[in-house]
Amino acid sequence: MARRRRLRATLSSLAVATAFAGTAAAHSGSLRGATQESLAVPTWLFLLTGGGAVGASFLLASFVTDRRFVEQLHAWHRSLPTPGRFVTRAARLAAVGVLLSTVAFGFVAPDEQLRNLAILVVWVAWWGGFVASTYLLGNAWPALNPVRALADALPSLDRPYPERLGAWPSVAALLALVWIEVVSPLADDPRLLATVVLVYTLVTVGGAVVVGAERWFTSVDPLSRAFRYYGHVAPIQRTDDGLRLRLPGAALPETAVSGRDEVAFVVALLFVTTYDGFVATGLWATIARTVAGVGVPPTLIYLGAYLGGFVLFLGAFRWAARDARRRAESYLTPEYLARRFAPSLLAIAAGYHLAHNLGSVLLLSPTLVAVATSPLSPPLNPPQLAGLPGWFGGLELAFVLVGHLLAVWVAHATAYDAFPGRLQAVRSQYAVTLVMVLYTMTSLWIVSEPYVPPPFIAT
Amino acid sequence: MTRTDVDTDVPADAEAHVCSYCGRPFAREKYLVLHRGLAHPDDVSDGERDAYERAYAEEQADIDRFRIVALGVLVVIYFGFLFAYAVFAA
Repeated sequence: MARRRRLRATLSSLAVATAFAGTAAAHSGSLRGATQESLAVPTWLFLLTGGGAVGASFLLASFVTDRRFVEQLHAWHRSLPTPGRFVTRAARLAAVGVLLSTVAFGFVAPDEQLRNLAILVVWVAWWGGFVASTYLLGNAWPALNPVRALADALPSLDRPYPERLGAWPSVAALLALVWIEVVSPLADDPRLLATVVLVYTLVTVGGAVVVGAERWFTSVDPLSRAFRYYGHVAPIQRTDDGLRLRLPGAALPETAVSGRDEVAFVVALLFVTTYDGFVATGLWATIARTVAGVGVPPTLIYLGAYLGGFVLFLGAFRWAARDARRRAESYLTPEYLARRFAPSLLAIAAGYHLAHNLGSVLLLSPTLVAVATSPLSPPLNPPQLAGLPGWFGGLELAFVLVGHLLAVWVAHATAYDAFPGRLQAVRSQYAVTLVMVLYTMTSLWIVSEPYVPPPFIAT
Repeated sequence: MTRTDVDTDVPADAEAHVCSYCGRPFAREKYLVLHRGLAHPDDVSDGERDAYERAYAEEQADIDRFRIVALGVLVVIYFGFLFAYAVFAA
């Protein structure tokens, strides 16, 4: 539901000056009327324009060669008041209430997608709204996390966490959660959703009891890690001296993730959105049916494309890091460069998340309010916004593009920090930029394709 | 920032110019000279500071050349798309 949407766009000119106009068309008939608008430009030109915009912005960023300017821009900050202990406690208590009632209403409220509070809370309020706040404002999840509140109330066995696992369990858990979301009707079936939330809560609390809450939520829990990473993009940053206001993305160049495992997590965060969209294209339907025709089980086809695609994304990014080392004539290891450049991808992931979810959040927020006021007997036809204006599709494309432009800039600032030579820094970004261009074109292709229901799976 | 706290790996047969303050190796002397001025501005000797300033200025000439090429590529991209849209997006 909330995560499957197609954009239709008409492009009229190039790059940053590009004026987008288009219509976002939801595929879920119950969510939005099937407004269709054909592309006014051929698809290949549309894709090339997106890639060209990213490439051109790399060239434009490379014109900024004043080190002091780059550093001052990223060092700018203002102090913000920190909310008091009472406010944070009350917020956390409220979050626990929301979690428990979500699970409860998921089981007992009407078994209909848009009349069940669990579906609306999870997909509209939390996945759409709250997650957007982690990169648009700041990551409040450590303060709110209701599962952590439950785990903190329990004693811990404090068993040692196997250090060699690093962040890999969270990579696996993220891939597993999104896998469940793609192959099951998680956005349509309240009972199933409540079950998944319940299982997640039990597993998480159990894990936190075994290795200690701090360790579990720092290393293993995929949601805490994802929101922490998204939070690096946000303007409000938590430091030892309280909250700080910074420019969006300004914290990213100084954010080095700590190893291959964490690089893999960032790439996974980016990849899962692409996969979610890719399985709903006509090309995938053809591939899946053809491969299934020779007797391969559908689940295996989906799983193969999922893991294969992830490895491909990871491989492309590692190749870019190796190429950066070679072109910059640097002795920094490719692993180090991958760790430094990975945070720039978070800006892209944030842009995609916003583009994919903002429309549903706006359309369904009246529904959420109406159903929340009487969850057990919601209105037969809960209200929703009649529609979004035609330019909204252009706005969604703009979010995708802004994410990429921010990423290009962050890579530029990161390279300036990592290499002493300024031309070295520019050359190090050739491959990273190429990967970003290819990624933009892939994503734009996916959003410009008409929605085709993924074959063999029930959604 | 993190200019000294880095992971490096020098190929076995390659020569390395090693920073005497933090031990970070560089493939060329000019990178080492620039690094000393950027990462250790409070520690460098007067001679090293002069060398850094010279290297920074010399780098500017290379950057100017790069800018001309980059501008050329931008112009090609711009007009390329302009013509492509004129022809194909009727």
